[in-house]
Amino acid sequence: MPPAPASPLITFLFRSTVLFVVWWALTLGELSGLGFGAVVSVLVAWLSVRLFPPSGFPLRPGGLLLFFGYFLSRSVVAGVDVARRLLSPALPVQPGEITLTLNVPEGSPRWLLANTLSLMPGTLSVLLEGDQLTLHCLDTRDPVERDVRATERRVAGVFGLAVDDCQEATR
Amino acid sequence: MTLMLNAVAAFLLLTLLIALVRIWRGPAPADRMLASQLFGTTGVALLMVLAHAQSMPALMDVALTLAVLSVLAIVAFVTRVVRIDQPANSPDAESEARHD
Amino acid sequence: MTDSLIFVSQAVLLILGCLFFAVGTLGLFRFSDTLTRIHALTKVDNLGLGFIVLALLPLAPSLAGGLKTLLIWAAALAASATSAHLIARAVHVRPEPPNAGEVEHD
Repeated sequence: MPPAPASPLITFLFRSTVLFVVWWALTLGELSGLGFGAVVSVLVAWLSVRLFPPSGFPLRPGGLLLFFGYFLSRSVVAGVDVARRLLSPALPVQPGEITLTLNVPEGSPRWLLANTLSLMPGTLSVLLEGDQLTLHCLDTRDPVERDVRATERRVAGVFGLAVDDCQEATR
Repeated sequence: MTLMLNAVAAFLLLTLLIALVRIWRGPAPADRMLASQLFGTTGVALLMVLAHAQSMPALMDVALTLAVLSVLAIVAFVTRVVRIDQPANSPDAESEARHD
Repeated sequence: MTDSLIFVSQAVLLILGCLFFAVGTLGLFRFSDTLTRIHALTKVDNLGLGFIVLALLPLAPSLAGGLKTLLIWAAALAASATSAHLIARAVHVRPEPPNAGEVEHD
């Protein structure tokens, strides 16, 4: 049961603010451009609310922050992991594909999870069809599914969702 | 600092050139499209280092544009050349035989 | 004191970044199939980019400049993840693209 979407006005204000901050950063805080940037931000935010109405998954600042920290540490592990395999003479890889059933709902949570997994250790999103995600694994001997479920919980936290781990238990 | 940044830029250019040799050898078109991803990371890093080394802040904008455009090149490739929107008809076993 | 500390950490980060980019390029040669090569390019090169971005942050002329550097980094990360997924999907859906023969030249 998805939660009710945020009101369009809140979404509009939020997107305007984010766009304006991006404008400010990209113009390096140039004062002469700020007025124009404000107008553009508001217009683009209005258009974006028309084209992409608020989804049923509002972001949670706390979950987002936790996810960000998790993402950073895991992507460092991912880079070091692949580098270690590449530098060892035996080249210890055993590529293969696995297909998992995702527990997060369709829309931005599933999309965020699939994209994040491409930067996580040993996994690469290949195909997302419904709730079936096919991953290419660098090494099928690794506990890939455990890592995926851990990432899934963090992604659920970003949107304040509870994930039932029944899928995990039955596997 | 500037000297070091220039050295880093030269090194990144070298890795980019060596990688391009591999990309050029292919053999599949998908292998060659990795060049776009390569420019999206190595190219962006190179431009950002150069922006500081040469005191040309505009190169930061070039880096940003390159990062965004690299995806568009891939999108054009997978939708127009490989046509991922159409169902596959060849079994996966063929890919195993091909990539040995 | 603080200046030299920052300088040393910048130097270390830049060297780390270069090393990871070099390993990423090595991955293109050592890994034999496209999907595994994407692993190398995405993960190793992104870590290299992360180190370079961290090293460049203290050089940013202003707060906005620093934020811009981080935005470029975020854009490159998103671009890399999206490209990796799209190429992987293309390889998965079409293991042998129809016009592969025409592109061959060696």
